[in-house]
Amino acid sequence: MASRVEILNDGGFRSDGRKQYELRDIVIDLSQQGSADGSVVLSHGLTQVSASVFGPREAKMRSQTLHDRANINIEVTFAPFSMGERRKRSRNDKRVLDFASTIKATFEPAIQTKLYPRSQIDIYINVLQQDGGVLQACINATTLALAAAGIPLLDFVCAVTGGVQSASPLLDLTTLEENDVPHLTVAVMPRTGNITLLTMETRLHVDRFEEIFQLVTSAGHVLHKEMKAAIKDRTRTLVAAMSVAPKAVGEKDPLYSERMDDS
Amino acid sequence: MGEGTRPSSPWEGCVTGIEVVSSSYHQTPPFPLSKYEKTYIQAALRELSPIRADGRSLFDYRSTALETGVASLANGSARVNIGKTAGEESGSGAEVIAAVKLEVEDVLEGEGVDGGRIVFTVSCSPAAYPHLSSTALDDLSYDTTIILNQCLSHPSLHPKNLTISPRRKSWSLNLDIMVLSDSGNVYDALFLAARSALWDAKVPKTRSVQYQPKSNILGDQDVEMSADGSGSIFNTREVAKAADFELADWWDEGEPLRVNREWPVCVTLNLVPAKSLLMYFADVTPHEEASMPLRLLLLFSFSPSGTRLRSMRLMGDGEVQLESMTLLLEGGENHAKKLFEALGKKLEEEDLRRNQKAQVKFDLR
Repeated sequence: MASRVEILNDGGFRSDGRKQYELRDIVIDLSQQGSADGSVVLSHGLTQVSASVFGPREAKMRSQTLHDRANINIEVTFAPFSMGERRKRSRNDKRVLDFASTIKATFEPAIQTKLYPRSQIDIYINVLQQDGGVLQACINATTLALAAAGIPLLDFVCAVTGGVQSASPLLDLTTLEENDVPHLTVAVMPRTGNITLLTMETRLHVDRFEEIFQLVTSAGHVLHKEMKAAIKDRTRTLVAAMSVAPKAVGEKDPLYSERMDDS
Repeated sequence: MGEGTRPSSPWEGCVTGIEVVSSSYHQTPPFPLSKYEKTYIQAALRELSPIRADGRSLFDYRSTALETGVASLANGSARVNIGKTAGEESGSGAEVIAAVKLEVEDVLEGEGVDGGRIVFTVSCSPAAYPHLSSTALDDLSYDTTIILNQCLSHPSLHPKNLTISPRRKSWSLNLDIMVLSDSGNVYDALFLAARSALWDAKVPKTRSVQYQPKSNILGDQDVEMSADGSGSIFNTREVAKAADFELADWWDEGEPLRVNREWPVCVTLNLVPAKSLLMYFADVTPHEEASMPLRLLLLFSFSPSGTRLRSMRLMGDGEVQLESMTLLLEGGENHAKKLFEALGKKLEEEDLRRNQKAQVKFDLR
């Protein structure tokens, strides 16, 4: 059997060939799924997550409505084939419910719920493949799906995981690294720099915390650029589809030029 | 009885084809439909030349996309999407992901069965059925699981190479299917995905190993250990018999699951309520499904030794005349045969594509 895999070798490379601060490949697919108002399939390397947003719409259960704002309902399903060993998690599993309520707490300050009293925003997340950074992927996917659904947000919410391997900080961890190394997940709203989620379930020395925290937050800003580009691309396609009539040479679509120039 | 034009192959133009279809008909309608809308849809079908909302003929299947090897952590997987049209603006069809995972089970102590066993599980994602409450969703998942298990549990369909050590350890095959979105005809998609995932599945090669302890202190007593661990009659003491197995190659995915030829294909025939005529059609959209809930599920398997009807299930409110059953079975068999052949070709194509991909990747390194 091979010797224990090194998390970070002397050349500065990690087990999957990345450098210390390198993030995994991000694939964002904003095509429509089912009848969702907004949907996305997001991959961070091998971790693949799909999110669908329905709403704001009439609540299924009147008892859950709030008189002055929209109710956010998040349901997470983990596919039984998402992990190396098959595990069928029931919908009411404590860990799954805890996971969902973490995501809900992350988005409460970001979604402008006051605009839609007595209605419900449903967010359904399917975790299709797990390879570390599942919470990060779910939060990013939710942001994109909400933006695709046209629900007013105060800002994007971008999440990244980070860990520390004997004084060397690492970003965007895989399962192998998560099992070995103390790690935390931070969700940041890039425009203001406000943090809506900071979670850590392992033990980390307090001296190491500051550095990794700063790093993860700035990684969130990097992610923000990618996510914004994907949304812009999608919107551009939709606008092009809407303007069916051929334009005269030199004539610009006022809708297009007005909105697209904002960065 | 209204076959209309020659039905096009279900795989024609799959994935790369572009169809302009009104996207609202891909969405699940808010249930229930009004009486008028139902009669509208039914009346259109009873015309001399039947009309469907999206312009298809009665047995025109929507273009279907199939991809194997989508879940890299599973032993075999497939994703099927009936009715997904390329292009950003249209809806996605009935999408289903199936994955096979093999687990080792102990026949003696655990729940294992000698020869292995297959368990099907269907879970419906809440995104597919946004109008259902979570209990209703659980019920639907459970019902669909039962149907799948009952239709496919016959021992003749059982794959042959699920044994690790005879009477000791065997593979338990868990086929998990997840319904990601439903825009009609989800049962056909489920069975297609099940077949494709099983086609794609590979069973790791194992080799039996036997732990043989050193000869005991009583001297020359022969400790006989036969290959299947039954032990010798000369054993008077309980000697540790560890019959175990190991993976022959840990980088090789294994040999394919031996199940291919006989595995059935499902055809759903939806029946139009009509007084005297028998009218049926296939591949419904959600609106059609909501207005005509009576349908017949037929599972046919085609092999060189002949065609077999594996399973039949009548679902929904309504009744069928006994005389019509023969016609339905014949019609169903024709369409199932076409589907079977098309599926076979597509699966072979997928095999080629994936082998090619692996080779190309390797060369690039």
